[in-house]
Order: sequence, then structure tokens, then C-alpha cells
Amino acid sequence: MGEVLAAIEGTDLAVTLRGARWTYAALNALHIAGVALLFGAAVPLSLRLLGMWPRISSETVARLLVPVAASGLALALATGAALFSVRAREYAGNGFLQIKLLLVVVGVLSALAAHASYGLWLRAVSGRRIKAHAAVSIGCWSGALLSGRLIAFVDT
Amino acid sequence: MRQVLMAAAIAAIILVQGWSAAIAHHGWSWTTGGNIDLTGIIKVVQLGNPHGRLEVDVEGEVWVVEVGQPWRNARAGLKDGDLAVGVEIRIIGEPSADVNDRRMKAERLFIKGNEYDLYPNRD
Repeated sequence: MGEVLAAIEGTDLAVTLRGARWTYAALNALHIAGVALLFGAAVPLSLRLLGMWPRISSETVARLLVPVAASGLALALATGAALFSVRAREYAGNGFLQIKLLLVVVGVLSALAAHASYGLWLRAVSGRRIKAHAAVSIGCWSGALLSGRLIAFVDT
Repeated sequence: MRQVLMAAAIAAIILVQGWSAAIAHHGWSWTTGGNIDLTGIIKVVQLGNPHGRLEVDVEGEVWVVEVGQPWRNARAGLKDGDLAVGVEIRIIGEPSADVNDRRMKAERLFIKGNEYDLYPNRD
């Protein structure tokens, strides 16, 4: 594990990013943009599934917000992997990053399970199970955002 | 789903408790506000984003010294290789408010009589 992490830190990408100024700053900004799109789409989608805005169909909301959330997730994962590579060994031991990754995995699995059951556009959803998925979504993405921010405030 | 949430919460608590950490790095809120002056030998060098970090042997005691990001170190006049293992360095900066935490944030460095000012606007 340690060798793998060290090898990640030794890649050209990681070496370049460690010494960069504006590229590193831009990468941080793109990561925030990804998180913003994901969080900003997942929360209103989940609130709709929990019963808010009943006059707007869940399918209409899903057609707008599911692609936004998925794009945000993809951007956050790609930029997050690049940021991780800069200090792979240190970050791997960071408790908040571990919590964040756990929450991301649970959030993604819960979303995949919901779409597997109710379709990509969540047509005609009702009942307690979809509400549970929505609650998990809000909990996971809020927790991931918070623990992600806290990574920078501790030292392992 | 409740079990999933419960498992996540329990895992989170275990992880938080399993690692001891000092609130550090960002800004100066974790430091005392006053400067200390240390001289020692650099033992470990870890430079680059998101911040640079040295371990310095000060009369047998290892201090973690937080230095700048690459641009801040370069602006202060530091060249590649200035901060290297075995180099004698004098550091002026603010120590952690936790006296058991041998950690400081460097404001100025001195190597071979040359001064490198990381934070020109701080005393």
C-alpha cells in the first residue's frame, strides 16, 4: 500500500502539481466546482423526493438534476484524484479523507440502487424507500462536503 | 437504509477516535501569536503543495516547521536545494498554542547567514 501511494506521488502529474502555483489553484477551483454541481443538484433532487415542491413532477426534476449531479460527481472524482496524488501517503492517513471517501461510496451506491429500482428519471416514485435514499443522499453529500473541508485543518 | 447510516456513523466515530491530530496548517489561529527563535539541523524535507514541511532537530528535540508553498518559498529567495537534509537552519516564527506540540509556522529563515522572509508583512 505504501509503495503504491509513493508511486502515485512519483507520477509526472503529481510532481508537476506539487510545484505548480496557478495550475494547482485552478485544480482546487475545479474540484470545488464539481462538488458544487453535485451538492447543488443532489440536495434539491432529494428534497423533491422527500415531498417538497409536489407540483413539479419528480421526473421533471430528475431530468434536470440527475445529469448535473452526475457531471459534478465525475468532475469532483477526476480533480480529487489529481489533488490526492500530490500527497498520497499523507492524505491516505487523514481521518477526514477516509470518512469523506466512505460517505462518497455510500452516497454513490445509494444513488445507483435508487436508479436501478426506479429508472434514471425516477418516474412515479413513491413510498418510504425512495425517501430513505433521498435522506441518505443529503446525509452523505453534506457529510462528504464537511469532512472534505476539514482535511485541510488537521495534520496526521 | 437505517443500518447503512448507522454503520457509516459508527465507522466515522471509530476513524475520528483512531487518529490523533493537531488542528493546524490553515492561517495562524493555531499559533500563539508570539515568535520563537530556533536553530537546528534539517532532518526531513517535504516541499510542495499544499504546503511545505520540515522536521528540524533542535538540540535533540524534533520540531515540525511549516514553511511556504512553492511560490512563497521562491518569492523569499529560496532556491531548490536550500532546504535540504543536513543543513543548519535558524527559524523565527510562531509556535503551536499547544505546548506539547513541537510545531511552528515559519515567518523567516536563516541559512548560512542569508535571510529568507516568507511573510514580509508579519513581524
